[in-house]
Amino acid sequence: MGQKFEITNDIRKLRFFSDEMTQQQLAEKAGVSRQTIVAIEGGKYNPSLELAFRIAHAFNVPIEDVFHYRVVEKKKKNNQKGEKS
Amino acid sequence: MAYQISRTITRILSGAILLIIYLVQVTNKYQAGLLAIDELQSLAQMMLLFIGIGIGVTIGMEIVFHILFSIGLAVKESVKKGSSCNDEEIEKTINQEFVEDEMAKLIDQKSLRVGYITAGIGFITSLVFLALDYPVFIMVNIFFVSFFIAGMMEGFARIFYYKRGV
Repeated sequence: MGQKFEITNDIRKLRFFSDEMTQQQLAEKAGVSRQTIVAIEGGKYNPSLELAFRIAHAFNVPIEDVFHYRVVEKKKKNNQKGEKS
Repeated sequence: MAYQISRTITRILSGAILLIIYLVQVTNKYQAGLLAIDELQSLAQMMLLFIGIGIGVTIGMEIVFHILFSIGLAVKESVKKGSSCNDEEIEKTINQEFVEDEMAKLIDQKSLRVGYITAGIGFITSLVFLALDYPVFIMVNIFFVSFFIAGMMEGFARIFYYKRGV
């Protein structure tokens, strides 16, 4: 395989566009602790599918607007190619 | 400091205090000749007593911790919100902080594994000492102490996972 994947999220941005929703408010809506929201936002914890849907539901957006799945290594290789050319 | 980390630190501290008290007691009793190396009955009684004390101390410290943590949260909340803050809001904040969600459960599982591994290593170490012809007294003590250390290691692992993420 040799490829690494990464799950990123736009929670911070979505909170900002939801009238600067606090982490506490989001935690209440998603039914988790504030610490879990902090960890998810900082990329330290990947939530379960259920929690991911709950967070998306809290923002009233589809899940793909909150979480993004991407290949890390491919991007690095592409960057290297770009640097060489 | 977050609830889970503060609670874990409290547990580690109570474990460390109990371990120190146990080691001091065993050393003192052994030096006073109250514990014979070939007589395990009094050692077993002492260990049972410490298990009882340990359970009592842990429960007591958890209660005190929860009371103090709740008071701290309530004070913080009322300072932050001022006169607009009511009891319901404070209660809601406290309940929100005590939520045990999926991340907490995952960290629990991972840190418990660290605890089991530590206790397992302690058991093997105690068997090695027995195989090397050390008295059973030493073996039992290593085994007993390894449980305390396992509890503390579990706590350290929990803090590590909360800080670094899972």
